[in-house]
Amino acid sequence: METCFSVKNLNLYYGDKQALKNINMEIMKNQVTAFIGPSGCGKSTFIRCLNRMNDLIEGCRVEGEVIKDDLDIYSPKQDIVDLRTRVGMVFQKPNPFPMSIYDNIAYGPRCQGLKDRKQLDEIVVRSLKQAALYEEVEGHLDGSAMGLSGGQQQRLCIARCIAMSPEVILMDEPTSALDPISTSKIEDLVLELKKNYTIVIVTHNMQQAARISDVTAFFLLGEVIECDKTDVIFSHPNDVRTENYVTGRFG
Amino acid sequence: MLIDKKRDKRNKSIDKFFHGFFMAMAMLSASFIVIIVLFVFAKGISPFLPGYEYGQVNLFDFLTGTTYRQDQGIYGVGFIIINTLVCSFFALLISFPISVLTALFIGKVAPKKLGAAMQSIVELLASVPSVVYGVFASGVITVGVRQIASAMGIATFGGSSMLAVIILLAIMIFPTLTSMSVTAIKAVDKDLEQASLALGATKTQTNFKIVLTAAKSGIFAGAILGLGRAFGEATAVAMVAGNKLFGPTFNPFDITRTLTSTMLVGLKETTGLDYDIRFSVGLVLIAVIFISNWILNMVKKRVGRNA
Amino acid sequence: MSRNVKDRLLQASTYISSALSVIVLAAIIIYLVVNGVSSLSMHLLTGDYYASTANSGVKSDYVYNEPTASYDGEGYYSSKWGIAVEDIVTAHNDEELSVTYVDPNSPFAHMESLVAGQDGQDSALGVGDLIQNVYYEDASGETVFLSKVRMGDAENLIMTLDNEAVAIVSCNFEGLGGGIRGSIIATLYLIVISLVISLPIGIASAIYLHEYANKSKINKLIRQGIDTLTGVPSIIYGLMGVAVLFPVTQLVGATSTSILLGGLTLAIILLPTIISSTEEALIVVPQSLRDGSLSLGATKSQTIFKVVLPCAINGILTGVLLGIGRVIGESAALVYTTSTVISDNPGILTQGTSLSLMIWSIMSGEQPNYQLASAISLIILVIVFVINFIVKIIGKRLARSFM
Repeated sequence: METCFSVKNLNLYYGDKQALKNINMEIMKNQVTAFIGPSGCGKSTFIRCLNRMNDLIEGCRVEGEVIKDDLDIYSPKQDIVDLRTRVGMVFQKPNPFPMSIYDNIAYGPRCQGLKDRKQLDEIVVRSLKQAALYEEVEGHLDGSAMGLSGGQQQRLCIARCIAMSPEVILMDEPTSALDPISTSKIEDLVLELKKNYTIVIVTHNMQQAARISDVTAFFLLGEVIECDKTDVIFSHPNDVRTENYVTGRFG
Repeated sequence: MLIDKKRDKRNKSIDKFFHGFFMAMAMLSASFIVIIVLFVFAKGISPFLPGYEYGQVNLFDFLTGTTYRQDQGIYGVGFIIINTLVCSFFALLISFPISVLTALFIGKVAPKKLGAAMQSIVELLASVPSVVYGVFASGVITVGVRQIASAMGIATFGGSSMLAVIILLAIMIFPTLTSMSVTAIKAVDKDLEQASLALGATKTQTNFKIVLTAAKSGIFAGAILGLGRAFGEATAVAMVAGNKLFGPTFNPFDITRTLTSTMLVGLKETTGLDYDIRFSVGLVLIAVIFISNWILNMVKKRVGRNA
Repeated sequence: MSRNVKDRLLQASTYISSALSVIVLAAIIIYLVVNGVSSLSMHLLTGDYYASTANSGVKSDYVYNEPTASYDGEGYYSSKWGIAVEDIVTAHNDEELSVTYVDPNSPFAHMESLVAGQDGQDSALGVGDLIQNVYYEDASGETVFLSKVRMGDAENLIMTLDNEAVAIVSCNFEGLGGGIRGSIIATLYLIVISLVISLPIGIASAIYLHEYANKSKINKLIRQGIDTLTGVPSIIYGLMGVAVLFPVTQLVGATSTSILLGGLTLAIILLPTIISSTEEALIVVPQSLRDGSLSLGATKSQTIFKVVLPCAINGILTGVLLGIGRVIGESAALVYTTSTVISDNPGILTQGTSLSLMIWSIMSGEQPNYQLASAISLIILVIVFVINFIVKIIGKRLARSFM
């Protein structure tokens, strides 16, 4: 199995406050890696390190290495825009742009300079199909994306991400704002997408992690307590804190 | 993957270009204040420098003079500074209590709909252009002043007077004062009010004792802004000031002359001492606004500390 | 005093204060309507300010014909000469004889100009023109000069012409004047020039301040500089305009103060308005949209142009509207930069007055013209109030748009 990200001694500070402490982790290709942990434990902060979205936050400082394809993504040689085209992201709350469904999905490719209408059409349809949204929106691709339901909007955001053909899709609590039916649709989708993409997902829902992930990492107070195969974490974890968490003794 | 290396590179240079462009525009916008002060200073100071082509003016005489006669080439702005300060101060004195009470009405006393309507009226008053206030002042305020004066047996110059200027300025700074006060009053912590009410104070007592005290700093900031407006108000004031040639004026029914009216009235030539000296008057105006702001901000800090 | 009474008094004081401002606004509007509404007419909007004068003679090939139809409109009618005249008082407070009807067969309808340089051109008397004097031939064949004094009022003029004239020779007349067409055009020029310059600079500055600027010292300085601009009186902008921007207008051929100079000065006056309303709109755009765009590999500038600015369009529109209001209302800065000379045909490089400045011009002369000033004020107020209303509606929509 190939390594996708190799994280070494990663520390992250917001001003003087340390939010991530000495994180070491290997994230494998074509697997679903889930991050679990109580709120404020740093799991969302960490996932945003993987495509350098933390750069947008003022006063945020990162130490250590995140190696992808033999290059530290924090080295000056790494181009951020280039990185983000290869590492896509889906956010906690669906954030479709206030434009048509079509334009939302064509947005990324267009930003890369793709203008050919035929190619764009093809990408839009393929992405929507992969995100299992095509049948629901077929025929009104010109309608506003804001008119979709929450679950549809989130799948649109996934489709928008797929349209860039990334290697990795980062998902930051993608179902936390959705109802149970929409949630299960997205979970099915994640299992389907895993064939072609590496997926990293942050979730506050342990059952979800157990259902869809291959590897699970447990975060607590900015540290990775344990990272192992999902069934190990949920059946016989090594650390007592992990056990306490997965058995619901705190959360 | 969708990355076209060449496109990518071009995108990046476009991105860099825009970053630079936005920054340059922001710097340009910010630099205008420097440009304004520098150029008005350079031109305003020139009549006092030796070798000035229309005959050097004595800076001390200019600043302390009590006569301003273009026709005789006598330029003294000392009394004009005093006039400007007096007019603006009394305008603030009239406008301040009315504005604060109106703001309290909008923010706390009035039923919601009436408050909103009142807020709209204040906004409309704020949007009336200066020159329209000027027409109103010379058509209505001066007539009122004339009638008051004749009832008291005093003759006026058709109603143009210091009193007319004061009333006009009081009206013109009212919207600024009021809207700043409303913002301050609405920002007062609800917990404070409830604490007061819980101690058995009435709603009105709470409004006057707690809300106004807590909003003090914001209301004061409005007063500073309003005073600045009063100093700089030009066309409307020039329409009713009357432009007295000497002074200072302390009789409210006598005509007066402010810095701005001096700059506007009798502008004909665009060269010569009479033109250049207007920049000097402008420079004095900038200085008056700057110094009064500075002093008032110091006072405000002290008031704020005591709160 | 009991607590109850004291409370009531204090509460009443807030009502009274509020009532005062309502009274002031009402007084302004009533005064302007009473004085200005009678001057509002199509002629006011489309006419020249300066009365044109004409000296016209009846064409030599004209043969007298009876007027075609009888006339029973306003004024005194001469059935012999086919012309009706009434007494009016102009916007300049002058008593004049105004033409209300000219029959197609009337000699007054077949006149050519006698003015040197224009002689031979058609120059017939028209409705609205003010007759200054008339030359006619009496029964003895002599040409008689009917001066303004001898014409007297409209009734007397018509009687004299009907009873004594056998032929009309020539007449002097003036257009009505007092129109504001030139100032309207100048105002439009000022709006366009100032916005074309101010919008890109202002929007770009707002983008920098909100999207790029970190909390470094230089950025604080930039913000402070822009904030300070708000407090500068407009008359100081006027001084800056002639001192700094006049040389700029000279480069494109201006020889004196001009509309272009006024527009450039206004552009700087508008900057703080445009910047703050754009920035307020940028603040409302949710960060998640920016994140979404950046995570798709869009560059920062692509994100701004494709996602952020389209969402902020309402705020920019607000800035434009407020800017238009400010240009229409501005006077002090323009006294120095466009001159106070009213122009009927303003160009970009010529002097002229905006509507507000025109009010200043006609009010600061020897004979203030209250009627015309009130009429223009009324027009300005209507525009400004409408703008205010639209801005309010946009503001409400903006507050709701990303909930």
